[in-house]
Amino acid sequence: MAAAGWLSKDVAVIAVPIVTILLGVLIGWLGQRSGFCSIGGFRDFFMFRHTRLLYGYLALIGGAFIGYFVFWLITPSAFEHFFWYLTSGLTPVPGAPAGLLVTGYIILAIIGGIAVSLIGVLLGGCPLRQVVMTSEGNVKALVFVVGMCIGAVVFTAWISGWIVALLKGLGIA
Amino acid sequence: MAETKANETKTILDDLARNPITVGILIGVLAAFVQGLLISAGGPEAYGFCVACHTRDVVNDAVNAIAGTKLAIAPISLNAILPILTVIGVLIGAFISAKVYREFRTKTGSAISYTWYLFGGVFFMVFALFMGGCPYRIALRVGYGDVIAFIGLLAIIAGVLMGIKIATAIAEREG
Repeated sequence: MAAAGWLSKDVAVIAVPIVTILLGVLIGWLGQRSGFCSIGGFRDFFMFRHTRLLYGYLALIGGAFIGYFVFWLITPSAFEHFFWYLTSGLTPVPGAPAGLLVTGYIILAIIGGIAVSLIGVLLGGCPLRQVVMTSEGNVKALVFVVGMCIGAVVFTAWISGWIVALLKGLGIA
Repeated sequence: MAETKANETKTILDDLARNPITVGILIGVLAAFVQGLLISAGGPEAYGFCVACHTRDVVNDAVNAIAGTKLAIAPISLNAILPILTVIGVLIGAFISAKVYREFRTKTGSAISYTWYLFGGVFFMVFALFMGGCPYRIALRVGYGDVIAFIGLLAIIAGVLMGIKIATAIAEREG
């Protein structure tokens, strides 16, 4: 069963780049003005008890929940598996390497989460902050974004397959 | 008179733009709105905003077009005429804002710092894709009710605490 949103499929396939680039411009503007940073929020809280950015990240989770909930009430077919835990249990929303057991996903989430925020803290920001700093003229952030692009290809071409093979070998996929 | 009023509105809007709480709520609600709008083009769900995955979609799509490879991208980016361009938009939006508010400054670093940032970016992307998203998509997925994403969020918090320990140790050693 295909999910049905407010635009029909024919229109949506054309609207995707337009709508997402507009959303991006708005988020870029807001991100530049507010200095929004997810990992920075936790860092500032644990280091200095500053809550400014942390509340921003928590507001993002809250805003997402409210948005999904309200729009789900209006058009359930566009939010088929909301509230995910109640419809799909302990599986993750697709996006990580597919076809693993729950244990495999939990291990990947733990390794990924720890590594991501370690890098974020040591290099001064989460990915959104790095992209915004790139646009502010920070060459180090630009190099980070270039690294992300390389990482995307490296992951998809090789690492993704290795992980699935390794976890299958260990019997948790 | 009309000009003062317009300026006042502008200041109020900018105050909201500078407040992370309004920005967070707005990004969350808009990410949900965009899913309602575009989900017919393809999944996955809770995919309205993600710096890691959306960058992956654009880069892999470009590499596929140039090199004729078949690197995986999300169904929505595969079906649409062009992939999801959020990150390109963020680059443009932040650049305009930085220019408008005169906050654009070219900042360079040392060769060694570039090396760190390059590998940092590579590993960041790899590990973000391990858990199926950057901290932003994790937030959206938590809001969507995904328990695995919540575990990822706890891991992010643990990683921040470790990162602070390491950063403090480095700072102390360098005195």
